[in-house]
Amino acid sequence: MTSAAVVASVVALIATGVIDTGASGATRPHAAGGTLIIGTTNSVQKIDPDVVTNFLDFEALGLIYQTLVQENAKLQIVADLATSWAFSNGNKTLTLQLRQGVKFDDGSTMTSADVVASLQRAQASATADPSASFIGSVTNIAASGPNTVVLTMSHPDVSVLEGLATVNLAIMPAAAITAGTIATTPDGTGPYEYSSLVANTSFTMTANPNYWGGKPSIGTVELETIPTEQSIAAALQAGTIQIGLLSQPTVVKTIPSSSFNKQSVLDLSYRALMLQDKKGPLKNVNARRAIACATNRQQILQDAVFGDGKIVGPVPLGPYATSPVSAICPTTNDAKAKAYLKAAGMSKGFSFTAITSTDLDSTSAAQAVAMQSELAKVGIKMNIQNLASNAYIQDWLNGKFQAAFAENGADPDPYVMYGRYFGAGADLAVPAGYSSKSLEQELLAGDENSTAAGQAKDWKTLNNDLTGNAVWIWLFDSNDYAVVAKSVKGFTLSPVNTTQLSSLANASLS
Amino acid sequence: MTLFLSIVRRAFSVLLTLWGVSVIVFVVLRLLPGNAVTAAVGVSEGLLTKAQLAALNHYYGVGQPAIQQYFSWLHATLTGNLGISLVSREAVSALIGASLPVTLELAIVSMILGVLIGVGFGMWSGLHPGRWQDDVGQTVSVMGLAIPSFILGTVLVVILSTKFHYFPSSKTFAGLFTNPWLNIQQIIFPALVLSLGVGAAILRTTRAAVLEVSGLNFARTALGKGVSRSAFIWRHLFLNALTAVVTMSGIQLGYLLGGTVIIEQIFILPGMGRLLITSINNRDFPVVQSVTLIFAAGFVLVNLLVDVAYNVIDPRTRKR
Repeated sequence: MTSAAVVASVVALIATGVIDTGASGATRPHAAGGTLIIGTTNSVQKIDPDVVTNFLDFEALGLIYQTLVQENAKLQIVADLATSWAFSNGNKTLTLQLRQGVKFDDGSTMTSADVVASLQRAQASATADPSASFIGSVTNIAASGPNTVVLTMSHPDVSVLEGLATVNLAIMPAAAITAGTIATTPDGTGPYEYSSLVANTSFTMTANPNYWGGKPSIGTVELETIPTEQSIAAALQAGTIQIGLLSQPTVVKTIPSSSFNKQSVLDLSYRALMLQDKKGPLKNVNARRAIACATNRQQILQDAVFGDGKIVGPVPLGPYATSPVSAICPTTNDAKAKAYLKAAGMSKGFSFTAITSTDLDSTSAAQAVAMQSELAKVGIKMNIQNLASNAYIQDWLNGKFQAAFAENGADPDPYVMYGRYFGAGADLAVPAGYSSKSLEQELLAGDENSTAAGQAKDWKTLNNDLTGNAVWIWLFDSNDYAVVAKSVKGFTLSPVNTTQLSSLANASLS
Repeated sequence: MTLFLSIVRRAFSVLLTLWGVSVIVFVVLRLLPGNAVTAAVGVSEGLLTKAQLAALNHYYGVGQPAIQQYFSWLHATLTGNLGISLVSREAVSALIGASLPVTLELAIVSMILGVLIGVGFGMWSGLHPGRWQDDVGQTVSVMGLAIPSFILGTVLVVILSTKFHYFPSSKTFAGLFTNPWLNIQQIIFPALVLSLGVGAAILRTTRAAVLEVSGLNFARTALGKGVSRSAFIWRHLFLNALTAVVTMSGIQLGYLLGGTVIIEQIFILPGMGRLLITSINNRDFPVVQSVTLIFAAGFVLVNLLVDVAYNVIDPRTRKR
């Protein structure tokens, strides 16, 4: 049978009503409290919030668990399980007042003992919490009454509050921690309760009737793993899923706007060309500046994501967003690039190799090719080496590269973003490939400063230092997309990657 | 050699092949950069303290000597324990138990469709050499061989979903016995895509065999003796061409198992192919090793069955 015959047969079956096309699925009314199916190429892998690193794990568990504070759509820290907080003792003590009347899924009431147990579990080496460093400065976690928790830090550290917003530091029942059931039976305070996980296939949650914010309208939320974005688009149009989480603008454009709401949001990450500045030609600051000036970020943005994003500096979003994006060359300036090459004693240019991994970032090869052609105009030869994901990660962690196209997670707080790369004793100092006393001091100053004006000044200095010395070449921030059936009301994609689905608590199906 | 001895010899060969596959897969997986920890935490590995990393290495079994890992896995496998998935912490046998029926069903339906297409068009073509029926058969054959299944699958999905709002595979997979009607809808399209490639190869083989057999003396004699056309086609031509058709079908079934890997991705079928790709990406070694071994076992088992089928179809082979 040929494909034409197949299509003809399907047409006949549809015409006779034998096959339910689901065509009306996008507009068919759902029963109140019905099931919302979200298609994503990713799959939920772990259900212990302290050990997850996969974005979808964060998003799924972010509906089940809650944190002491959270970031809102404007990337400001707002209340979650803590209703208020205050720094004291020269920013070395943080006191948090807890929300009252909050219940876990097991029916028990949340108290300060649960918060203490949760944060201590995150700090324990055996847990291997990748965000434990966010509370690395905390030397003591203590309950001060049933609804008050006091964190004592070894040094002034206002960024600890930002760190508390990650799902890796979610609050769970002390009894479940003691019983060792967290890794198998999620038990949180969020709007949804864990229902089931089918490995590599689906993750299902049901509305939490005891949620302190009120029982969600949507009864069941299922995250369905669909291996390719094209198949997600197909499932949307067939009406079998109501929301598709996508990253490729080309796929989004194939879906008709007449039947769906297309949402896009600059995600909390950034693309950069990370440089190893301690050896080879990139040791010369003027050689790096030449790269920064010869880079046409607009062209890279166009080639990589069809212009659907924003050119950014070290801090892409939030109150301390870098502006202008570079202290030396906010836009392409080949003449200045050549001047820097001359100052570096490399008038004829130089060559270096950049690694990419299209497994990890499908746009990285396009970024690299665009940059290669721009740099060639001033005599800089950039070789490109594309690696499989794990090979890339290994080389990246060991600093075995001259330059690496990377998509890194961002945060509104520059200390949270760059303390791990350039701070004193930074965990990621090796892949960062650059260190300086001035950067360490700037990071520390911003972290210790609790006034908004003071921090703005400190972070401006940091931005200028990073871009003025062309430590790395910051490129752009791209959009994340959600294609939403018109039957879904009240869903808004959050810019915070790890809690993109948080608005489902207030969404409904018509 | 008797039929029994022939089967024993082939069975020994099968076991040797499977052992070889297990060694190759084990070595290749270890040669890949990274490990289960890298796959699980990605660049966040750099944020872990030494104590945290040690805890994770212990959790994932990273760092044990490779030989110890291999024999530990082999011993467990031979005793029926395929181990635990490093990612989901579920028993590998449970993961395979859930996905194997999907792939088997897809492969069997594809094979049936492929044989129908291949033998049907092949006979039709071979009985009308040089005429328009032959041209039709050759066209089907060339299309089936030339169009990669992933392109055909993608095009089919796009057409069905955008033009007819129909993509049954995107619904939660329904078992054959739990919801047969939905199951058939979910299997039939990927099976059709796979069957075209399979059918094309069988078609060419069938056509060539029919042409060859119809030119032999016994065929002309049969026609001269006044055998009816249908008896001539099915008793004389078809049965004598069957050996070649069975050979090609066996080979194609083996390749078809490989083809399911990509087709399951496109049609969102939770089969062994999807499990394999996900597990490779996650460096989930116990799952990859077991799934690969099962694919290999399927391939050699099919070849064994083909050999047995020769003996049944053609008694002359038993005397060699």
